[in-house]
Amino acid sequence: MKAIHLVLPALFFAVTSCTLDKTDFEEEIAVEIPENYSFEEVFSSQKETYKISVEALNGTFYKGYNEVRVKLTNVQTEEFLANSTITFFPVLTVADKQESCPHASILEYNSDEQYFEGYVVFTKDSNVGDWNIQLNFTIESGDFQVDKIVSVVQQPNKNLNMTSFTGNDEQYYIIALIAPQKPKVAENNLVAGIYKYVGDESAIINNEPNALASSFAVVNKYTLLLDPRMPEPSMGNHSSPNNRDLIQGEDGLYHGVVNYTMTGNWTLNFIMQNQNGKIVKGTEVSTDFTPGVEGEKSELYIDILF
Amino acid sequence: MKTFYYSLLMCFLSSPFYAQKTPMLSDTTQVNTLEEMLIIAKKKKIETEMKMAVSVDEYLASSDQISFIKRGAYAWEPLLNNMSSERSKITIDGMHIFGACTDKMDPITAYVESNNLAEIDIKSGQEGSMHGATVSGSINLKRKNTLFSDYGSEWKGTYQTGYEFNNKQFFNLGNLSFASDKFVADASVAYRKASNYTDGKDNEVKHSQYKKFNTSLGLAYKTSPLSALRFDAIFDVAKDVGYPALPMDLWLSRALITSVSYKKLFEEGLLRVWDTKLYFNTIEHYMDDTTRPENLVHMDMPGWSTTFGLTSKANLRKENLSSEIQVNAYQNIAIAEMRMYPQDRSERTMFAYSWPWVTTRYAGVSLGNSWDISPISQLNFGGSLGLNYNHSKYIDFNWIFYPGAPQEKTRFLPSIYTNYTLFANKFNVTIGGGYGQRAPSVSEAYGYYIYNSFDRYDYVGNPNLKNETSYELNASAGFKTENLNLSAKVNYFYIKDYIIGEILSLGSPMNYQSVGVKGYTALSYAEIVNFSLNGSYKITPNLQWKGNLTYVRGKDDKGGNLPFIRPLSYQTAFVYNYKKLSVQTSLNGDLEQVDYSPKYGEDNTPAYKIWNLSANYAFYIKNNKFIFQIGAENVLNEYYSTYADWGNIPRMGRNVFTSLKIDF
Repeated sequence: MKAIHLVLPALFFAVTSCTLDKTDFEEEIAVEIPENYSFEEVFSSQKETYKISVEALNGTFYKGYNEVRVKLTNVQTEEFLANSTITFFPVLTVADKQESCPHASILEYNSDEQYFEGYVVFTKDSNVGDWNIQLNFTIESGDFQVDKIVSVVQQPNKNLNMTSFTGNDEQYYIIALIAPQKPKVAENNLVAGIYKYVGDESAIINNEPNALASSFAVVNKYTLLLDPRMPEPSMGNHSSPNNRDLIQGEDGLYHGVVNYTMTGNWTLNFIMQNQNGKIVKGTEVSTDFTPGVEGEKSELYIDILF
Repeated sequence: MKTFYYSLLMCFLSSPFYAQKTPMLSDTTQVNTLEEMLIIAKKKKIETEMKMAVSVDEYLASSDQISFIKRGAYAWEPLLNNMSSERSKITIDGMHIFGACTDKMDPITAYVESNNLAEIDIKSGQEGSMHGATVSGSINLKRKNTLFSDYGSEWKGTYQTGYEFNNKQFFNLGNLSFASDKFVADASVAYRKASNYTDGKDNEVKHSQYKKFNTSLGLAYKTSPLSALRFDAIFDVAKDVGYPALPMDLWLSRALITSVSYKKLFEEGLLRVWDTKLYFNTIEHYMDDTTRPENLVHMDMPGWSTTFGLTSKANLRKENLSSEIQVNAYQNIAIAEMRMYPQDRSERTMFAYSWPWVTTRYAGVSLGNSWDISPISQLNFGGSLGLNYNHSKYIDFNWIFYPGAPQEKTRFLPSIYTNYTLFANKFNVTIGGGYGQRAPSVSEAYGYYIYNSFDRYDYVGNPNLKNETSYELNASAGFKTENLNLSAKVNYFYIKDYIIGEILSLGSPMNYQSVGVKGYTALSYAEIVNFSLNGSYKITPNLQWKGNLTYVRGKDDKGGNLPFIRPLSYQTAFVYNYKKLSVQTSLNGDLEQVDYSPKYGEDNTPAYKIWNLSANYAFYIKNNKFIFQIGAENVLNEYYSTYADWGNIPRMGRNVFTSLKIDF
């Protein structure tokens, strides 16, 4: 009988540990999303006493949207130079043919952070052809030019995907996701850039007209209607509430809100309307709950995963 | 010590007012029984009229104040005064414990076993606020405690075994106790194993099997003639529990419930008893659907709930006034996950929290007083004030439906009640009223896509919900002679900001069986009236009749019906004793559910009646008492489901049961 009094307490303490581990949620969302927080140098070049350094997230150019920071320093005085104009021009060469991509032609100086900033949306990666970045800057001692072939790799983070298409107006468009880089099961501010091919207008590059330089322009006053859904058959076309369509902000980019109700594969279904409310691209998707059937997608969509 | 128990058996054996009166009388004669108070042991057996080996659920079901939501054969959700379990306080020896299943598959009553309980106290309405804020009342499960022995060391034991033919349930329940003048030990072990049951059409109800193991240990040491230290633990494991009304089953649940308490008695003065307890309990509850290959989505729903707390009470007495002051403080963390897999189950692809790490902290003071105004009248009054704090760690989930909702919320929960009883000859009359508030439950405030297979909606909690406020009136009247006992009770609840799920136009379902999303919202008010009649009559010294009738009506603010309101129900029973033989028969049933609520997923439930029959025979072999029982429930093999059976799953058909109990 005494044995019972010994065995039972022993049993109690043996079972206090959990059988099934709880999910480490922070780790859960951190591991699956390759994310790049810090800006690192992609390449640099020295002209006389001036060093120009081009930085991007993780020191790498990815297909899709890239924020670009350029630092211009006087190597002798180690001073950052502010009084300059820097132009930025990416060119892709594929078998003698050249094309450009959406980008900021003139980099603007950010006096708080002491660098010049801009962006580039690489439409293809370096497997297709060679990307050449041409930088021109003017300072007291004269004009300088830097040419550099850079490597553009596939974006591993699906949350920064892009898509290109020809709209109903026969124009060629590009939509690139910019944020959130690391989505949460929550309300996420969704930011995208919308660009349009305007190839026949030309700009002046190196004192010469260059059709490529301004071949893409930011699309203004459009609206991107948003309908996020989980495409897997098991999710039965699941969607989320309280999403907001993307409209253009003062920074020229398009801002909206997407809610992800759980982790997994999501499709952002879009309908793009022009300034007159006319549909340029995209179709409405069914809102029916269809368990066991792969979710229908709009003709304009971007897949993400987290 | 004038807490009055609406004890279950008292409901049948005598009017509740007699029950109130009893402790008052016994108190005055208790001068030399202080030691007995040291460890309260009320020798009330956990068994019903019909059956001596019952589950806790079956035992509770024999009360006219309790009805059940059933998702299968196991772990029924008790409804007190026809209100869901969020509105009642369910405790074990005053300890707060919270289930770990978002779908309420594990009410606290699932973690005890009939052989480690001594009695169950049910208090209606605000009188139940002694353990914390409530609307419908409280259910306190009291464990068995053996008394210290004045006559030297003493071993006692009970063994009970039985077999139920319908679901091939085989059970073994064992108790062993040791008592000496300084030391007491209680131990119990129980194991039940049941297969699928068959309904009244002799069809097997798939996924209705279960296995349950429960063991408990209590050790008490007398630190002085008037004080004692006690340690208690319960460990419960349920495995392979099927829920026919759900798309998934329970793979494993485990509960560990522990406490250490110190009790001191005082022979003189204002303070009579001081009892303090520290407790800790942890529950794991793992639902999955590995047994349901037909499901398109595979989902695991593990849940964890851990609580620790303190409860301390003092009993005071001065002349005609006796009071109990109780302090309660606890912290609970509730976590529940949804892990979804595509059909090949190769890897987890989707994840969300259904309870995003919600912390609840509560601290409150409760006071109950009983004042004997005169030999024929008594006034009871009391109240409580509580502070309830919630914190949702992953508030982002809640922000999807309620952007900007606060991550933390603190609520004040006041409560007050009074009632007056008058005894006049064979009659007694009580009238009373109460006011109280409760905080929304974790699911109601922070739940996320919790699938409810009754109405097939996914439920989303609202952190901004207001407290639910209850205004309550109750009255009762009784008549008692030596052979006849009649009582009538009525209570009325007007509940402001009544929390219930309503269809959201936002969002789309997540669980593949669901048809839409409902959000917990507050109706501006709801009303519930409970009415019951109880009677018993000794026809001859050997033959006794008992009966009861209950009627309930629940309406929302637009005059519509509330869900889970029991239709008119009745029970009538005869008990015949002849020497060592006792024969019982009973008939119970519900009338047709007329006032059902299609809006909340209910449909019309037809009337049913169940006839039960049993006989037991007691005999002695070498000073050991044996009781053998054989009986049948649902003798007529009626095919039925009740108003509260999820998915209209049919109840058990004819069930022949046998059991043998040995006291040694």
